Amino acid sequence: MIEARGISKRYGDLLAVDDVSFSVGRGEVVGFLGPNGAGKTTTMRILTGFLPPSDGTAEIAGFDIFEDPLAARRAIGYLPESPPLYPEMTVTSYLHFVAKIKDVARARRREAVDRAIERCSLTEVRQRVIGSLSKGFRQRVGLAQAIVHSPPVLVLDEPTVGLDPLQVQDIRRLIATLSEARDGEVQHTVILSTHILPEVSAICRRVILINDGRKIVDAPLAELTRQGHTLEELFARETAGDATTGREETA
Amino acid sequence: MRHVTHVAGRELRGLFVSPVAYGVMSLFAVLAGFFFILNVAYFETEVFRATQFQAFERLQTLNLNDHLIGEFLGSMSVVLMFLIPGITMGLFASEKTNGTQELLMTSPLTIWDIVLGKFLAAALFVTLLVGIVALFPGLLFVYGDPEGARTVSGLVAVLLVGWTYVAIGTFASSLTRSQVIAFLMTFVLLLCMLLLPAIVQLGIATTSGGVGEVLKWISTGSHFESLLKGVVDTADLAYFAVMIGVFLILTKAAVESVRWR
Repeated sequence: MIEARGISKRYGDLLAVDDVSFSVGRGEVVGFLGPNGAGKTTTMRILTGFLPPSDGTAEIAGFDIFEDPLAARRAIGYLPESPPLYPEMTVTSYLHFVAKIKDVARARRREAVDRAIERCSLTEVRQRVIGSLSKGFRQRVGLAQAIVHSPPVLVLDEPTVGLDPLQVQDIRRLIATLSEARDGEVQHTVILSTHILPEVSAICRRVILINDGRKIVDAPLAELTRQGHTLEELFARETAGDATTGREETA
Repeated sequence: MRHVTHVAGRELRGLFVSPVAYGVMSLFAVLAGFFFILNVAYFETEVFRATQFQAFERLQTLNLNDHLIGEFLGSMSVVLMFLIPGITMGLFASEKTNGTQELLMTSPLTIWDIVLGKFLAAALFVTLLVGIVALFPGLLFVYGDPEGARTVSGLVAVLLVGWTYVAIGTFASSLTRSQVIAFLMTFVLLLCMLLLPAIVQLGIATTSGGVGEVLKWISTGSHFESLLKGVVDTADLAYFAVMIGVFLILTKAAVESVRWR
């Protein structure tokens, strides 16, 4: 569902993402792991079509982000680091607006909005103004926004950051259900970024570790833990190791 | 293109759920009333004076279109200069602070859908304001007999000036994430446009004819005046189309530039 081919992104002299390639299949939940500033957000912004890569390209659900950008964007649901909300709108009218701009046919809009509200447990606040909602609810509205058009691919940038432990559990449970095939519902392929390690073991079946813009590890979680390492060890070893080699290279 | 209406619809609803739209409309209506009464009073004194001094020639030339409606519409175009920056300042700046820019730019919308939608929303609101303005000359048709066609062309002049200001404000809003800066930028740009002919007059000795003419052409002033006089010239209409087009193209480039930084 997601095919990244040699993606690079340069900001002036800074190489934020360096030749990253990976492929994610239908129904997979992939954890995109790395320290802050590793290039996670930039990679996600490239996949969602917000930023063009300096080099390389990507395919979303079979649509090239350069050749068929609108179709690629239609196939993606994206929750940026801070949920993109209009504080003056109600939850329902906001989701209706998102459904419109995501090309959900008029006849199916009400149903799509109702389903997103139900899946994200927003029924009790559906007529509330977004600006008056708590952070946990806002994050759920952000998720509802990402799934309202039933996109085959979901890109979630740090979906649990800044939430209290109960809300974190809530959101994780919700994300876990998104990749399960239910009757009549699209099975989502999920790629989520985080720097919180337990999050990965809680939701993801596969890990892509990225540091300094480069992909270091890409393996199923089970395989990594079978080798006897905890994720913490792996993370510490890989990121530290890379930092030293990086320094040697520049020296 | 149907996305243009989606973007515009959200923008308009956003204006009307907050007190901003109502505040602006009330303020505008009050100011319109004030300037109208002022101009009516002035017109009355002129008529009174002309009769008293038996200045029949003057009395002949006094008419509602030149000496009342024209003056009134001119004042209202200046009032628009103060209000429109407030209407357009949030168009793009607030998308950046809300983070919703990322939603729009990762949705299957083109940049033109976004830019035209936003322009259309603000332009429609300004049309509503011009509708309020139209009520006052409308009153004169009940009590007097101004020329219909000239009044309409005057209102169209205010409308076109308003839309041009909206295009400039839309552009300013796309340059910054601060609404205050967007407001000030728009206001300064509009002020420059207003003062251009005066600056040209002052510097007429030094500037060569060509440059001065171009600067004068850029200012809304002369185009507005000729429409106000009821002279509907395609060159003036083209001027407004060019100005709106240029600023919308600049806006599109500014919005798109996020992708290339």
